Amino acid sequence: MRGLIEKDLRLTLTRKQTLLIFFVMALIMGVSMDGAFIVGYLTILATIVAVGTISYDEFDNGFTFLMTLPFDRKTYIREKYLFCFLMAAAAWCVGTVLCFIGNIVRRSGVSMIDELPMLAALLPVLYLSAAVMIPLQLKYGSEKSKTVLFLLFGAIAVLLFWAKNIFSGTNNPFMQLAKTLDGMSPAVVLLTLTGVCALAAYASYLWSTRIMEKKEF
Amino acid sequence: MVKVDNLVKNYGDFRMNISLEVPDGHVTGIVGKNGAGKTTAIKAILGLIRPDGGHVTVKGQEASKLTGAQKSQIGAALSDSGFSSYLRVKDVICILRKMYPQFDESFFRTNCEKQGLPLDKRIQDFSTGMRAKLRVLTAISHRADLLIMDEPTAGLDIEARNDILDLLRQYLLVNENCSILLTSHISSDLEGLCDDIYLIHEGRILLHEDTDTILSSYAILKISEDTYEKLDKSYILSTKKEPFGYVCFTDEKQFYAENYPGIVIENGNIDDLILMLTGGK
Repeated sequence: MRGLIEKDLRLTLTRKQTLLIFFVMALIMGVSMDGAFIVGYLTILATIVAVGTISYDEFDNGFTFLMTLPFDRKTYIREKYLFCFLMAAAAWCVGTVLCFIGNIVRRSGVSMIDELPMLAALLPVLYLSAAVMIPLQLKYGSEKSKTVLFLLFGAIAVLLFWAKNIFSGTNNPFMQLAKTLDGMSPAVVLLTLTGVCALAAYASYLWSTRIMEKKEF
Repeated sequence: MVKVDNLVKNYGDFRMNISLEVPDGHVTGIVGKNGAGKTTAIKAILGLIRPDGGHVTVKGQEASKLTGAQKSQIGAALSDSGFSSYLRVKDVICILRKMYPQFDESFFRTNCEKQGLPLDKRIQDFSTGMRAKLRVLTAISHRADLLIMDEPTAGLDIEARNDILDLLRQYLLVNENCSILLTSHISSDLEGLCDDIYLIHEGRILLHEDTDTILSSYAILKISEDTYEKLDKSYILSTKKEPFGYVCFTDEKQFYAENYPGIVIENGNIDDLILMLTGGK
């Protein structure tokens, strides 16, 4: 596991110039823009970069050799989910610090303590993107998975549009859900959200493991 | 060390059905033409593909169920796959250090220097020979007791090939009980290294023989049509028609040398073995 994390970290650092540009952009946005955009931006970026290490593994027939190294297929999957989480968490921390510094510089008067639960909610939600991308990338490869992801988000957009038309006014269950959440304390909402995301990520992990166990190299 | 028992693997029209064994401390070679099934056999032994039938065991464990600890005792070098070419050798060192508890860093570094592998250069900028050397060095740097090498010298010039073979010979000197399974279609590589040879053709094992026996008992007989008619063909494995007469391949050189003193007898080698047993009529 440690060797795999080392590999992914070093593969990520091979793109350090691109990462540096993203970081400078984030720094500028963090200082100039309001709100939590910077936290979400950095977290999702780090997640995409982390999932991208699968493309490096796949490139040039690399999986064949990789699977001769001393770990089993389950460990490979575990490491990918862990690495994505570590990257997302690290980016979230940097983003949050930048966000707070931005608030201080702008003297926006927003309380850091008040904003923290909302920022914390971004991490599990954005980590879900890794939980969607990892199994797709393993199953369809880096190129095809982009098409599948595009189709998936298209289908979700159509579904949301349909749901918006069907459920209107007081009938809308989403509005009722939002009202219920409004009435709960931020800590309970955060815990519930984290729990739901953790369950979804675990389901994704099981799916990825299944894909990997069936794969031939 | 490795036991392949009636391994069956189907890829469309191609069907593989082989059995082979690599005993402890043996160097075993697999020869055959391109597409004969050498790489498929290697992949099955490394647990990279699932057999459609039969069993592949490595140190008594089903190949597809090898644990990380068991795999750390295996060193693999594959012909067309290695560490990501975006990495540098110094990255590979850090990764191997964490992957293998027994990683011999000083051995790896010393040999990288000897073989002219720069630590700071990306692997994608390496020549074919440098990449092949890196793959072999990676496989032999953690005191593995089983090395599995798929075409480790394919596409290399004579100097690079010798360097790689020397690395393997040195490894065998230091690790006497190590077993090696290697595939190649370069006969001289196998003749100088292997204890026994399997000849694989169209997914089947055509022959399994000790290398010494191949070199001492197998021979090419060049004979006229008249002599061919009278020849005792009991020990002829394969025959090919040529403009001057016939070329026959035998595993009993001595018999024909003693009984047919007039015929031309050339010592057999692995190239002849491949040519005559997979292409002769």
